[in-house]
Amino acid sequence: MSDQIKDEQLLARLNAALDAADPLPEAVVDAAKASFTWRTIDAELAALVFDSAAEDLVGVRSAGVARQMTFRTPGVEIELVVVSETSRRLVGQLVPPQAAEIELHHEDVTRTAQSDNLGRFAFQDVPAGSVRLTCKLKGTNDPLIQTEWVII
Amino acid sequence: MRPTQSHQVQDIRGVSFPLMAETPVAELLTAAEGGSQDAWDSLVDRYGRLVWSVIRGFRFDGATAADVSQTVWLRLVEHCGRIRDPERLPAWLATTARNESIRASRRMAKTIPTEFSVEVADEAAPSVDESLLEDEQLAQMLAAFEEMSPKCRELLQLLCTDPPLDYEAVSEVLDMPIGSIGPTRSRCLDRLRRLMERR
Repeated sequence: MSDQIKDEQLLARLNAALDAADPLPEAVVDAAKASFTWRTIDAELAALVFDSAAEDLVGVRSAGVARQMTFRTPGVEIELVVVSETSRRLVGQLVPPQAAEIELHHEDVTRTAQSDNLGRFAFQDVPAGSVRLTCKLKGTNDPLIQTEWVII
Repeated sequence: MRPTQSHQVQDIRGVSFPLMAETPVAELLTAAEGGSQDAWDSLVDRYGRLVWSVIRGFRFDGATAADVSQTVWLRLVEHCGRIRDPERLPAWLATTARNESIRASRRMAKTIPTEFSVEVADEAAPSVDESLLEDEQLAQMLAAFEEMSPKCRELLQLLCTDPPLDYEAVSEVLDMPIGSIGPTRSRCLDRLRRLMERR
């Protein structure tokens, strides 16, 4: 038993020695804490800056024309068109054009599409309700963008 | 136009909870998954040194060690909600830190200039600057530690962390039979004692 206590003390001293010689740098701790902002559901928010449905108020568009929306982050815009209210087809465009993985979130359901090199993507038979898109960009400093929820 | 998502420090039941040192890992993970930066910070505070101690055993330069550490924590960000057994989080972190360290070692071995490879491959090179230590006993212990086999060093490093890894976790991280950890631990500690006495 006394040997065991000695073992524990020895390990504690070893820990102290290793820590004193090579302490965990504060900057490493700060970076680890900051990494939390990368988590998926904390992706950079793309704000809805244009919605043709809202523009109806000033009579520019009449009902029956495809609804257009624009989401914006400092680096990327996402254009979204509800091509047809009956077929529930969504067509999107990334600006600047780029290949990316696009997720469509609707309640607990996530569907995935790829944008092509021209930045185009589409989803079929999108259920009515609140949706949001997550865009996993490739090779940029802002690889993950999430749109605000919109009801379609 | 505001996001509907909550960023408040609340658990899944919507009640605020104190982030005490004794808060179970499962609660911290759940809260972090739900968006609590405070819960995440608590995880980093609790296990940052464990991750670091695994990485420093590989004797990287400071920048590389920091990169490896960051990779480990980003992995956890991705996996926060997918850790099946929250009590195994320390083992998961230590294993991830070890795997990422091995990956970084291999990457460096492939890309670094020859003269630097020689330096890295020098087993006798001390990983720490002992002159920085004011406590002479600690310095002696470190010097003795450096003389031990890599296997002993790796095992003792995992066993001396605070909080310590249990045997099950150590077995998982080092891929060692759980029954051999106790005897190996004793043998390594005896060796450490002898090396210290010799100094």
